[in-house]
Amino acid sequence: MDALLAQHLLNWLVLGSIYTLIALGFSLLFGVLDVIHFSHGDVSMAAPFVALAAIQAVTAWAVPLTGTGALLLAILISMAAIGFLGVVLEWLVMRRFRAAPAMMALVATVALGTVIRELIRTLYPQGSNPKPFPAITTEVIRLGDIVVPVFSLIVIAVSISTVIALFALLNHTRVGVRIRAVAEDRAVARLMAIRPNRIFAVTFFIASAVGAVGAVFFVSHAGVVRFDYGVQLGLIGFSAAVIGGLGSMQGAILGSLLIAGIDTLVQIGVPDGASYRLVFIFALVIAVLVLKPSGILGKPVFEKV
Amino acid sequence: MADITQATPGLLNRNGASANLAIVAGVELGSAILLRAFLLSDETAVIVALLALMGAIFAALQLRPVLEERIVAAFHDRKRFATLLGIVIVLACPFFLQGSGYAFHLLIVSMLYAVLALALNFQLGSANIPNFATGASYGIGAYTSALLALNFGVSFWLTLPVAAVVATAFGFLLGFPSMRTKESYLALVTIAFGIVAHQLLNNFDWTGGPNGLVGIPAPELFGHSFARPIEAFGFRLPSQANFYYLSAALVGLSIVSAKRLHESRVGLAWNALRADPLAARCQGIDVVWYKMLAFGVDAFLAAFAGTIYAFYVSYISPDNFTFLVSVTIMTMVIVGGMDNTLGVIIGAFFLTMLPEKLRIFSDYRLLFVGVVVILFLILRPQGLFPQRARNYGGKR
Repeated sequence: MDALLAQHLLNWLVLGSIYTLIALGFSLLFGVLDVIHFSHGDVSMAAPFVALAAIQAVTAWAVPLTGTGALLLAILISMAAIGFLGVVLEWLVMRRFRAAPAMMALVATVALGTVIRELIRTLYPQGSNPKPFPAITTEVIRLGDIVVPVFSLIVIAVSISTVIALFALLNHTRVGVRIRAVAEDRAVARLMAIRPNRIFAVTFFIASAVGAVGAVFFVSHAGVVRFDYGVQLGLIGFSAAVIGGLGSMQGAILGSLLIAGIDTLVQIGVPDGASYRLVFIFALVIAVLVLKPSGILGKPVFEKV
Repeated sequence: MADITQATPGLLNRNGASANLAIVAGVELGSAILLRAFLLSDETAVIVALLALMGAIFAALQLRPVLEERIVAAFHDRKRFATLLGIVIVLACPFFLQGSGYAFHLLIVSMLYAVLALALNFQLGSANIPNFATGASYGIGAYTSALLALNFGVSFWLTLPVAAVVATAFGFLLGFPSMRTKESYLALVTIAFGIVAHQLLNNFDWTGGPNGLVGIPAPELFGHSFARPIEAFGFRLPSQANFYYLSAALVGLSIVSAKRLHESRVGLAWNALRADPLAARCQGIDVVWYKMLAFGVDAFLAAFAGTIYAFYVSYISPDNFTFLVSVTIMTMVIVGGMDNTLGVIIGAFFLTMLPEKLRIFSDYRLLFVGVVVILFLILRPQGLFPQRARNYGGKR
């Protein structure tokens, strides 16, 4: 029983870590741009495809790397590529909606998500079919009767270090101060000789690159990737960010752990849980928002006329 | 097709009632002919040319606002004639479609989406309440009526109001959280509601699971089954014509109620809410009630559309009512023009037909539609036809 419990706990932490990587992007982008970047899930889900292409390229061009080494290199390449994609999208699309009502930007990013998905589907060879995605590592560590996949440890460790790095970046570097300044007040930040456009680009790069890692972990966990996986992952990441409180990093982590928790619990405890998991996840989302209208750690909004 | 009765006065030019008459007739017949040509064309070159023509017309309206004002003024001056001509065009339209089932199908689906977009417009357009669950209300309506018809043999005409009441009850339920949450948070509540509804429909046994419900019987009216063709005036219209007239009637009903609501205190209260909820509350507007009302009205109309859809295609599955359907409806409202009845209808027609007609681009059509929507939001963010000031009688 204890072994089983440990497995479930581990599973919960892995899922929570993956969701956190996506939710952080939503929260960061909302905090800085005041906009919900609905295509964040789809942007992130482009990463596994870049990684797959990169693996082929790496192994084809006779670099003496195979297996895990090639995969890690591919993941790094996909992070950079997706971060860059985020910057390009900000420059191409999001910038035009800076002054527009929030609903416009929301619908535009939903459309952007469709465009990204369709681009993957049509441009990637046989993009409509599910593609097997190699596991980062299949090794396991045995602690008594508990089997711990090394992959799970990697996911958890990478997420924790990403979170720490992000906090350090935001709180202890010049860029971080600028990002927070722009998030606080764009106009005043300008007066302090900060260029908001540059900060937006940086924020997009960070959020997308972090999301890329999350997406790669997600598909590596599932073992397979399809062009439309980004919709569900994006929705879950968005929900996690919102129930935690948009704009709050801690909230995004908390929300992700909550959602991953209910996800794991349902799969254990409810008969036919796999098909009802989304019902429970989103019922939880509604319940949290009814009780805490601006998320668990969100600042209450004061109305001004 | 489009029944342009929304006109409010701009710069009214009183010289020549006949000129106004000509403008009204020209615009209505012109758009009807354009629509017919678009519906019946299946050659790539023709479709692209027609799209270019429409684009040119909108560009002209965009660059020369005077043109738009002139047309609006003419319509306002000849309101009754415009309405009558619109009705005649809608009634006569089936006789000019060469019995093409595909054209009928497109028109019916467009009209149902027009109703859905009008329903959402009460919320998104009038009151600026984001609602990503119109698709769910549409589905609840469709499933309620289909289940009643299949399990209890209830007639179509009876399921119509029942489905609407059930969906409205769910709509109010969904409206509850809106008492406290707002903006992105409220948007997420509605998204979550839509997903929960879709997942439940997908998993319950009594809704047929992912396979949905099959074999919904065709409605009957005075002994005439809707599955049979209409024979009138020596013409023989395909059976879809029944549903064409039914949906047209529903669109008419929606337009009338949208107009009446828009011009009533309710519409004004919604607009006040949109402008500033706190200021509205200070004016003595019951914010919570009007928000809930918007949810209820949306669900009510959406359920009508859902019922007709279920009986029209006689087969429904959860995949007809996903999150992406709600997003599509939302896009229609925004592209058409928030809180403008005509604009919303045109948005619905445009966004229903565009992907269908772009089948020539087969694999790339969704991509194309996405790009068009983004470009549209960048280039004309106020929508095709933005809201106009109300006019409570009296000519200027």
